[in-house]
Amino acid sequence: MSQLQPTVGDVEIVPLSVAAASGPSRRRLPGWLSLLLANPKSRVGLGLVGFMVIVALISPLISVSHPTDFNLLAARQAPSWHHLFGTTDQGSDIFSQVVLGARRSLILGAASALLATVLATVLGILAAYSGGIIDEVVNFLTNVFLVIPTIPLLIVISSYLKARGMTTMILVLGLTLWSFEARILRGQALSLKNRDFVQAAKVAGESTWRIVFGELMPNMISRIAAAFVLVFYVALLVDAGLEFLGLGDNTHVSWGMTLYWAQTNSAVLQGEWWPFFFPGLALVLTVVGLVFLLAGIDEVSNPRLRNLRRSK
Amino acid sequence: MHAADDVTFVLRPGTITALVGESGSGKSTVARLLARLYQPTAGQVLFDGVDVAGARRRRDLLRYRSQVQMIFQDPFGSLNPVKTIRHHLARPLRIHGRVERGGVEARVQELLETVGLVPAEKYAAKFPHELSGGQRQRVAIARALAVEPAVLVADEPTSMLDVSIRVGILNLMLDLKERERLAFLYVTHDLASARYVADTVLVMYAGQIVEQGAAEQVLQRPLHPYTQLLLASVPDPAVTERAPITARKGLAAAAVDPPPGCRFVERCPLRIPVCSERTPELVEASPGQSARCHVTAPSPARREDLHVEHVQ
Repeated sequence: MSQLQPTVGDVEIVPLSVAAASGPSRRRLPGWLSLLLANPKSRVGLGLVGFMVIVALISPLISVSHPTDFNLLAARQAPSWHHLFGTTDQGSDIFSQVVLGARRSLILGAASALLATVLATVLGILAAYSGGIIDEVVNFLTNVFLVIPTIPLLIVISSYLKARGMTTMILVLGLTLWSFEARILRGQALSLKNRDFVQAAKVAGESTWRIVFGELMPNMISRIAAAFVLVFYVALLVDAGLEFLGLGDNTHVSWGMTLYWAQTNSAVLQGEWWPFFFPGLALVLTVVGLVFLLAGIDEVSNPRLRNLRRSK
Repeated sequence: MHAADDVTFVLRPGTITALVGESGSGKSTVARLLARLYQPTAGQVLFDGVDVAGARRRRDLLRYRSQVQMIFQDPFGSLNPVKTIRHHLARPLRIHGRVERGGVEARVQELLETVGLVPAEKYAAKFPHELSGGQRQRVAIARALAVEPAVLVADEPTSMLDVSIRVGILNLMLDLKERERLAFLYVTHDLASARYVADTVLVMYAGQIVEQGAAEQVLQRPLHPYTQLLLASVPDPAVTERAPITARKGLAAAAVDPPPGCRFVERCPLRIPVCSERTPELVEASPGQSARCHVTAPSPARREDLHVEHVQ
């Protein structure tokens, strides 16, 4: 009974599974991008967001004048070839404001989303995996931040803060928007942590940090990416809203600030639609792009939907 | 809650000890206690004469884990879906520093060959979803072997596998027992496979060991009525008449605050009054075979009582 050859039935399937395996693993390497591009929703989303990113990148090249240039002779002009998006009460070129504002809005959205996602990921997974007192504390924090309404809190914070620079906004947005994603990621980590591969990693001697970030987190990447996109557009909207209310950083150009000045100078009352329309359109397109991207990520990362598509 | 108590047994190098019992009898709890996935509330785990149940320092735990490894029941859950087979085998090697930095790859291939997964380099690059259940279980065994342990705890390693593949895994276990002088704890509810591989059999019921002894003896001439019923319930096409022993229609013993007396009393066909009063001890009724039963393996004191009763 001793020296038995360890070859049995299941090994004989080798050539078959090797042939089948080389396909998907090669497709896996370019990875998430090709998956996203294959999905119509995320393709639209990537297109819109990509367009905005390109605009933001080349904005200094395509803006026609300094966005806050003061020129009363050219004030309140409707869109024309000279001023594509018209001009403001002070005669600043709105096209330049929108194009340069894209840079600030995108950086602000991405940075606060990054901060919130990192917080949500670390706290959510760590809480779920550790359990006990750590879970209690994180849960309490999450609940507190969930209960406090974000926008009123932000209004209070930003009206008290003296420095209203971009860094402050990023910190404020990032530190208030992490809670709902932390809740979702904690839930997902809870369902993963009792899977045997986590137990097996423990038996192998992996440390807690290694299990959390090396074994659990890679299984949650799609959900984390979704969290990032979600916080991204929420941050964009909240930021624009705060600026519209006059609580933003009024030394910089951004979509929200253009809207704010249009409101203060009662542009609509004087029949000027363009200072509202163009920054609003830019904001809407970016957010719609991000929403499509989110829907696409959901579809791509849900194996059931993916299989449906493949079988068609 | 008493998932398992008063469980004492010995694992010896080069032997396979089968732990059999129904679902909920505490076999997996015992396995996970040995693998240090659960912390025992009381009792000792002696390894080479040293109690390791209380070891909490990472260094002590790592030393223990390098000696005691575990194979899980579900090969679909015990491998991380986003990691390659190479990762699963290389991690334990790195954690425990078993090989030189450059030797990891060679050792990974050697391990894969040990469990019969050839060509090894092809398997190493694969992801778990590209393998069949039997192949995955072989990877799980290879991972457990990576640190060259002395003890291997196998928690129903074949129950999730196709019948045709089971014998391959069992033969691999026998082969490893001979070649590596491993001490196996083989947890199973499959008596036929226990008979096939095991040297010693432990029968658990409601958290207690009710019978233990050499595999042949226990499975040919069971002492405890539970073991007898267990064996009688195995369908045997050669036997046409009804089994000579049948269970009472009673409830299984409560694991939460079990009442005094034998835990099997509700279902036992052989019960006598004393059974619901006093918990029977594990008594060596014939050489190398002991059982926990007042009727078939009465303790010396109990034998006296019986004798007295007869005289009167």
